[in-house]
Amino acid sequence: MADKVCLQPCLGLRKESILCRQAFYVVHEDLRPDQTVLGCGPALNADVQEDIDFIEMYPVMAMEACDLDCATNLVAKKGKQAARTIRVPELAAELGIEVDALPEEHIDTEHPAVQAMAKRIAEFVDQMLSA
Amino acid sequence: MVEDHDFKVGVLSCNGIGRLVSTVVRRAGYKIKELRPDQVVLLSSGRLAVRETEHMRLLEKYPLLVIDGCRPHCATFMANELGKKPSASIYVADVMAENKINVAGEKRRGLTQKGHKLVDAVAEKAVSEIDRIIADEMLSTI
Repeated sequence: MADKVCLQPCLGLRKESILCRQAFYVVHEDLRPDQTVLGCGPALNADVQEDIDFIEMYPVMAMEACDLDCATNLVAKKGKQAARTIRVPELAAELGIEVDALPEEHIDTEHPAVQAMAKRIAEFVDQMLSA
Repeated sequence: MVEDHDFKVGVLSCNGIGRLVSTVVRRAGYKIKELRPDQVVLLSSGRLAVRETEHMRLLEKYPLLVIDGCRPHCATFMANELGKKPSASIYVADVMAENKINVAGEKRRGLTQKGHKLVDAVAEKAVSEIDRIIADEMLSTI
């Protein structure tokens, strides 16, 4: 059984991407520091060994800002399959987050939307590690 | 004719997540777009990594400025992988050294004034390159 989950964000430019990256910081730094690693898309694409190791060693949770599924497809490009793909718009809707109302360019990690999303992602991490 | 041309520059920043500089680079990208709204197309490394059609079209159409945050030079790697030679490259460490900016104590989840000083310096350098690239394109066309 894996002891960590690789959090792989899509790292696009949209608000949904920013929400995801900020939530991942909260999950990795505050909520589940010993149970997660942060996967960096550009580094994975560039075959940086640490990022290759992350997707090899740990189940990947890909988080997508839209239905292009860039993070999931990038992991597949490197020969692995994401164990779980989550779409930010769907999760935001489930949590009652109005993405349009969020600030542009940067969302503070203390923002209720980031905190709510991080809490939910932490639950997904727990599910993946207990599977 | 000049009127038929669309003088813009594609800006590809690494836009990672792991390091403090990822946040600097991401914020610099938005600042660059703010400073040159009609001359810049911000390219998403995520979409280019999977060769999304529209982003590939933009990459091919416009001259490219890459901004690399840390040693692996992931944005440059991506440009090379996709067969696009950058017209200019910026490495954030160079900007930091040139401007004598210290970002010790800054956090990747959110920047303070110190971090924003580096963001502004990167954006300023980028805009200078963008203006030069467009001037070069224009004078090589008309």
